[in-house]
Amino acid sequence: MARRRDEDDDLEDEEYEEQEEQLIDDEEEEYEEEEEEDRGAAIKKRRRSDFIDDIAEEEDEEEEDDDDDEDYGGGGGGGAGGGRKQKGKKRRGSEFFDDIAQVASDDEEEEEDAEDDFIVDDHGADLPDEAGGRRMHRPLLSREDDQEDVEALERSIQARYAKSMHSEYDEETTEVEQQALLPSVRDPKLWMVKCAIGRERETAVCLMQKYIDKGSELQIRSVVALDHLKNYIYIEADKEAHVREACKGLRNIFGQKIMLVPIREMTDVLSVESKVIDLSRDTWVRMKIGTYKGDLAKVVDVDNVRQRVTVKLIPRIDLQALANKLEGREAPKKKAFVPPPRFMNVDEARELHIRVERRRDPMTGDYFENIGGMLFKDGFLYKTVSMKSISAQNIKPSFDELEKFRSPGENGDGDVASLSTLFANRKKGHFMKGDAVIVVKGDLKNLKGWVEKVDEENVHIRPEMKGLPRTLAVNEKELCKYFEPGNHVKVVSGTHEGVTGMVVKVEQHVLIILSDTTKEHIRVFADDVVESSEVTTGVTKIGDYELHDLVLLDNMSFGLIIRVESEAFQVLKGVTERPEVALVRLREIKCKIEKKTNVQDRYKNTVSVKDVVRIIDGPCKGKQGPVEHIYRGVLFIYDRHHLEHAGYICAKSHSCVVIGGSRSNGDRNGDSYSRLGSFKTPRVPPSPRRFPRGGPPFDSGGRNRGGRGGHDALVGTTIKVRQGPFKGYRGRVVDIKGQFVRVELESQMKVVTVDRSHISDNVVVSTPYRDIPRYGMGSETPMHPSRTPSRSGATPYPEGMRTPMRDRAWNPYAPMSPRNNWEDGNPGSWGTSPQYQPGSPPSGTYEAPTPGSGWASTPGGNYSEAGTPRDSSSAYANAPSPYLPSTPGGQPMTPSSASYLPGTPGGQLMTPGTNGLDMMSPVIGGDGEGPWFIPDILVTVHRTADESAVGVIREVLQDGSCKIVLGAHGNGETITALPSEIEMVVPRKSDKIKILGGAHRGATGKLIGVDGTDGIVKLEDTLDVKILDMVILAKLAQM
Amino acid sequence: MFFHIVLERNMQLHPRFFGRNLRENIVSKLMKDVEGTCSGRHGFVVAITGIENIGKGLIRDGTGFVTFPVKYQCVVFRPFKGEILEAVVTMVNKMGFFAEAGPVQIFVSNHLIPDDMEFQTGDMPNYTTSDGSVKIQKDSEVRLKIIGTRVDATEIFCIGTIKDDFLGVINDPANA
Repeated sequence: MARRRDEDDDLEDEEYEEQEEQLIDDEEEEYEEEEEEDRGAAIKKRRRSDFIDDIAEEEDEEEEDDDDDEDYGGGGGGGAGGGRKQKGKKRRGSEFFDDIAQVASDDEEEEEDAEDDFIVDDHGADLPDEAGGRRMHRPLLSREDDQEDVEALERSIQARYAKSMHSEYDEETTEVEQQALLPSVRDPKLWMVKCAIGRERETAVCLMQKYIDKGSELQIRSVVALDHLKNYIYIEADKEAHVREACKGLRNIFGQKIMLVPIREMTDVLSVESKVIDLSRDTWVRMKIGTYKGDLAKVVDVDNVRQRVTVKLIPRIDLQALANKLEGREAPKKKAFVPPPRFMNVDEARELHIRVERRRDPMTGDYFENIGGMLFKDGFLYKTVSMKSISAQNIKPSFDELEKFRSPGENGDGDVASLSTLFANRKKGHFMKGDAVIVVKGDLKNLKGWVEKVDEENVHIRPEMKGLPRTLAVNEKELCKYFEPGNHVKVVSGTHEGVTGMVVKVEQHVLIILSDTTKEHIRVFADDVVESSEVTTGVTKIGDYELHDLVLLDNMSFGLIIRVESEAFQVLKGVTERPEVALVRLREIKCKIEKKTNVQDRYKNTVSVKDVVRIIDGPCKGKQGPVEHIYRGVLFIYDRHHLEHAGYICAKSHSCVVIGGSRSNGDRNGDSYSRLGSFKTPRVPPSPRRFPRGGPPFDSGGRNRGGRGGHDALVGTTIKVRQGPFKGYRGRVVDIKGQFVRVELESQMKVVTVDRSHISDNVVVSTPYRDIPRYGMGSETPMHPSRTPSRSGATPYPEGMRTPMRDRAWNPYAPMSPRNNWEDGNPGSWGTSPQYQPGSPPSGTYEAPTPGSGWASTPGGNYSEAGTPRDSSSAYANAPSPYLPSTPGGQPMTPSSASYLPGTPGGQLMTPGTNGLDMMSPVIGGDGEGPWFIPDILVTVHRTADESAVGVIREVLQDGSCKIVLGAHGNGETITALPSEIEMVVPRKSDKIKILGGAHRGATGKLIGVDGTDGIVKLEDTLDVKILDMVILAKLAQM
Repeated sequence: MFFHIVLERNMQLHPRFFGRNLRENIVSKLMKDVEGTCSGRHGFVVAITGIENIGKGLIRDGTGFVTFPVKYQCVVFRPFKGEILEAVVTMVNKMGFFAEAGPVQIFVSNHLIPDDMEFQTGDMPNYTTSDGSVKIQKDSEVRLKIIGTRVDATEIFCIGTIKDDFLGVINDPANA
């Protein structure tokens, strides 16, 4: 277009010539008037126009000689007549400073063209008003003092630069020579001066004019205005004062701030970024301007001569608007709205009465749909734009974008294209030694190998196949990283950067990865991935908040962070009706909630963090998992089978039940010893764990039975003070009062109060006497001391000593609760692990009472002479002396000495396999599963010597005894019975049952069959069929 | 794969457990600490089967704790790449299904399910062949091949495939 305009100009010129100077003069005067208005400084008015006339004359002569000359510099030459001519003359001098400007104006025009091409028809290439607009600036170029001066200047400039130009461009320059040209301290410096924004060029020109006017008075060397740098110009001068002098009086320069450009950066100021754009067909580019700014486009044709490129785009066309426009209706100008990209549907267009022409492109022979000047093919828009309006550097098309481009029809070649672009954008050091690679192009296609060495373009690979040379050199572009399904990888670039996962499928250079955290499939390019064993989620933290933190939000609601995005969190709100996810920004978060509280579940069992709970009603019924956070009676439960919300479920504590014990609770408090100790607690059946044998083991017993109600998990733990005056001290938590904890310091004999947030409770050292309040529990059970007065806590160890046999038999499996169950059912396996045989078996006298008391009292145990289980317990109560640890008198009770041996008594006793006995054994095992009995099961209560009654357990008290309602249907009187007095009613086939232990504890179901010691159970809620030990099945009361 | 191996561990014991039951205490603590754990090298410790020997304890300065080196035999379960396992399907979704073989969770992506099996939504999401003869749903037992493993501190996660000969459903509760 520019060219055409020049030609027009030339024609005009000739006309002008005929019209002689007069016209020019007139025009000039016009300018001057404008000038006057503009600047109010017309001092040199007359002179200048004289000068211009002269020039014009000269110009006329020259003009005839060479028109080409015009063409060359005419890029910006939209000026009419005289104005333009002056420039033509002037150019010779101004070439040196105006070069960039010309190119820049070219750009603008080009870009405008690019925009207009399709929308506006190409009529009227030369817009008159545009030319007029340009005129405004032309005269500025030529404010000169007098002709002689100019010519002198011209000569001097030419003399000065001609030389350097020759030396720089005409000869082969070596690098050393280039180095020599770099500015040194002796050279004039470059100063950066602030000027009015948008007036950079004008300012530069003003300064030039000033120089011309004042001559050598102005001691500056040059002025540079860069197009890309707004608000500043550069002035080359030796001293700052010179710059100030030069700038004085220029209205565009304000602020006396003059900055020196460091020598090192001087070259950067003037160096032109040489962008060698290697555009070829099928490369991916992005649009830089206009409606399609940022859109991905594919190059279909390159015209290097005209610097134009035809690209294929997904159209962003508002058909309705287009239809309006074509029909000449006034389309409301809504600039803000950019139509979303979608493929052009010709039928749709026709429906809107848009004329669609089908034309054959003469060059390529392809058919295009022409709609309102735009060309479409296969729904894509084909658009010819300037090379400058697209960027081809560092294009990383995302997967989605590529998918879109591929969607209508084409399959094969899209891949190749994206490959080439991808490869072009590879970073240096893309391949590393040891990488598995595959050849994707050329003769060796599909050859796999490992990278041995990388130099520059070529990669030496060790081929996988035998019979080939040890290493092969392959061009980097022909290689692609290779992964196999099952590799664990990390994404190192692209949108999924930072994600790790396992490769599930390989589709050429695209991998499908299963993310480690979200368990979702991600599609990535093999190039963006490295093999890695690390497991990350990408970003997991913004500010103080991390993934899976519980946070308090602005509006006092709270939630759990389930995903961290680039600038926001996804938060699962603490509402239980339905899962609610909110996107929350950092500033909307008030604080992190780190309170450790306990709540009660539906059955008033205490739930603390890490306890496993099952949700029994609400939308997430049936889910179960460990509690991760507790706040305001709301539990956040992690269920790994729950795929939504990163596996987190929010539920009310009332709609949950604790299942199993709170194993981790114990762990967290580091009371493994006490847990361990609990195995040793005397299994005196009446109240096995109530026996007050010195605190800690006892406590764990209580804890595991859900008896920690009211006591914070922290009490009794050893903590370290992190902050405050007692920083660094360690101590045991005595009490908790709101935000404060009372800590008994280890090193000083005193109790201090410390803020709860100032302690760290993860010191994994257990304390020997944790939980003092528990200590006196023995007395809480009224009957206990009376029964065995001699044992009531004064001597902490005798029980332990008396029970080695049982320890041996039970402890090994005690920690594993599920194990316990089947172990119970296989009494034969008792004591069969010889490795647990203690080095020195304890004396028989101590052992003797143990089996006696242990088994005899268990209901249904047919070992005791009396034969009636009830009897045994009463006998125990009546005659405590035989069981006193110190008295060997217990011996008479045992039928034979054989029973002292670890293997035998157990075996013998158990073999009968009476249910009562089995049933009790887990309690003896002290497995930490909490109360063995649970409500609603049918039991037999043995109250007095030979009276037994059927009842239903209503409630299990903390000490293990149960509230029982007598009668098979729970309609009799309510009594409280000890576990030892209670015997479960063995369910029969097709009875309704309740499960007392294991993972399904508390669940109800139907016994559909009995197989030896195993019962086949159909669970009620899930309808799952499970094989469970009969021992843990209890008959459900029919009510 | 299961292995019966001998491992060693230093057990720290509190002085209050010293006494005649010292050994038992060590053993029960060992079991509590070790059983059910998982290590990258050995996999899951399924059960401790025996104690080889308990070394001499070393009293720690300051705390009074005693460290005993304990050698114990145990059964470990470690899944390997390429191993064929039988597992129970625990969850089915459109991306594939999760199955469990003991403590190990295995994911079989839909890319690794034979192409003729399609996902069917509903109460009981499942993968079914076009003729409906084979169905994978919750609680189905499948034979699968492990193609990748990831070992965390507390679990081993595997990716499996049933897209191979002789792999797939071996026992379907729906048909049983």
